[in-house]
Amino acid sequence: MSSNDPPSGSTPKAIGSLAKKQSDVTRQGTQKLKFVPTLPQRRKKEEVKAEPTTSVVPAVPSTERGRGRGRGKGDGRGRGRGRGAAPPVLEMTASGPFAMGPALAGSTGRRSTPRSNFTPSVPTALGASAALGVNLSRSAAPSLKKENNADAKGKGKAMEEEGEVYSDPDDGVEIIDMERIRDMDWMAPESLQNERQLKKFKKEPSEGVAGEVDLAKALDLSESEEEEELEDIIEDFAAPTEIDTDPTLREERLYFFQFPQPFPTFLPKASESVADVIMGDATDKKVTFAPDVMPSVTPGTSRTSSAVPTELLMTEPLDGIIGELEVYRSGAVKIRLTNGILFDVSAGTQPSFLQQVTYLDKENKRLCVLGEVNKQFVVSPNVDTLLAAMEEADNAPVTIEGGENLIKMDG
Amino acid sequence: MTSINDDTDEVVTKLPIHYSNALSPNVHIHQFPLLTRPLQAPPSSLASGKRITARLKPNVRRLEIHVPSDTRPEVWNAEKAKELGAARLEDDREKNQETKGMKSVDETRLSEVRMKSEEIPQRGVHLLGVVRDGCLHLHPISETHQLRPALTYLDILSRKSKRSHGGFDSDSDDGPPPDPDDPAPLPVPRKEKKSTGEVKEIQVTARKSDDKNGLTGPGALSAVRREMLHAIRAEEDEEWEPLEFCDVVTAESGDAFEGVFSQTSDMLQCKTNIAAFLKEINGL
Repeated sequence: MSSNDPPSGSTPKAIGSLAKKQSDVTRQGTQKLKFVPTLPQRRKKEEVKAEPTTSVVPAVPSTERGRGRGRGKGDGRGRGRGRGAAPPVLEMTASGPFAMGPALAGSTGRRSTPRSNFTPSVPTALGASAALGVNLSRSAAPSLKKENNADAKGKGKAMEEEGEVYSDPDDGVEIIDMERIRDMDWMAPESLQNERQLKKFKKEPSEGVAGEVDLAKALDLSESEEEEELEDIIEDFAAPTEIDTDPTLREERLYFFQFPQPFPTFLPKASESVADVIMGDATDKKVTFAPDVMPSVTPGTSRTSSAVPTELLMTEPLDGIIGELEVYRSGAVKIRLTNGILFDVSAGTQPSFLQQVTYLDKENKRLCVLGEVNKQFVVSPNVDTLLAAMEEADNAPVTIEGGENLIKMDG
Repeated sequence: MTSINDDTDEVVTKLPIHYSNALSPNVHIHQFPLLTRPLQAPPSSLASGKRITARLKPNVRRLEIHVPSDTRPEVWNAEKAKELGAARLEDDREKNQETKGMKSVDETRLSEVRMKSEEIPQRGVHLLGVVRDGCLHLHPISETHQLRPALTYLDILSRKSKRSHGGFDSDSDDGPPPDPDDPAPLPVPRKEKKSTGEVKEIQVTARKSDDKNGLTGPGALSAVRREMLHAIRAEEDEEWEPLEFCDVVTAESGDAFEGVFSQTSDMLQCKTNIAAFLKEINGL
């Protein structure tokens, strides 16, 4: 199974590699892990000798289990340096916290967490599904046993890539996909995204580093971008229930909405006069509403005459329905508030970095992470409605708008 | 958005929108511009018991999140960590940030990344939206912070090396060129060194001239500079409050998350006319 081949390699493939030729034996005398990246082309045998670009201390602990702890922590595939053939004598088994697969890596998939941008959109198949468009694999080492490696990789690849099937590795030869380096270790570098993959995952607007815009597709992108985004929005809202097989996985996505200034002020009750305000409690509610607009009993606040609208947001506890989000067949998404204000919703620029929503619990001195922001949306007033309202305002006699209790600054 | 012909366009789905500000003003957004993976402690650190911790200066709204680093020998240089850790300790001391009681040798090693927050102003109103049970729940987001690793301890190291090399070798460590308003960069470092243990007073030279730019006179500072130093000093003076960092998986986090949702289905009445948006636009 293991043969000590000389460093010159048995069957070198003419693959341009940046590899330095190194011996197969580490300083400690054990066999070095070999790092054999694959080409994204169909090849009979992918034995590429290359050196990982990151500088990793090649010191490998002498024990076999320690092996797994090497650069490819818990990764059954291990990493190799230099030449192709001579496999380590030892069986690569996963060890360490990653041994059980991504489930153990913070039990990412199996907890009641909101969906993260960084989880693969396909439910994690042993983490083999790594680079997904902009998304990054959530957990690093997939920690597959070596002998299963090819199978899982094959499956994973078949799932996601178009026909890139890798042959089973020879004994002792690691096949490591350059695009999946991210999976290998917690500290592994990020793989640059490949164009090909972006096509499949147009779920997210692609802002991958490499190859986002192909010259051939350049025109298409500009036209279809908008449609893509609209589709995305529909998916976010129109599917009323997410199909969730795992009850513990919190499927609710967190969305970030950016509204224009000023955020409309809301009052808990149609308090045309202050006197009507009830120091109500939640038990008092009677929901009687005619289509859309009729407000009803409030979960009381007493201060309807508080000063500045923006402070109103913060100081008054508000709770209730303020409007509706409408999804149109054309893909447009609009927000209609109870008094007729119409907003258009569009997808905002999706950041490629991590954004977390947190709650700062001051009493308990806690910082709770509520989750990651999955999608950003920009809300802007619908121009047609706006203009119509302006016209109306111009034509109508000047009245104090909304006018009862709010002290408005003129101008 | 392209204009949609309303006659032909029909509504496919309607989601009622709930609004609640129950947790205001404590819902924040943390952005990690240099991080492209979830904020987690590496498994090796988790195994050794380290967790993500946080601390806060409530008045200046500065937050620090300490993320343990992966200290496996394959990916971590322990000697360098000791060196940098010592520098960080010194840096902390200079700025009065030293965490009390952490004097053990262990702690002088650099074993975590300190993400320091920077509050950024919000443009527009930010809301958090969650879709649940066919309803969209909105909650205002009060603050937005960007967190980046704090590497101020490198200044200490560069200072040391500058001293030892005479200052000509480490050009890259010189930092930005001196501010044209500032006659000489000397006053600033002098001040910082003085500040440890002393009453922190701004070195304001008594100058009658009213220039805002403070060009004349030795050691004079522009008003802007002074204010900045004031702010920095005030921030350094404030004490850190430790925070418990609860990740998404924790129960506390789940509770907080539930608090975001609106509890009632009462209709709220909107008081703002759509024309208010136009009014808010500056210059219109």
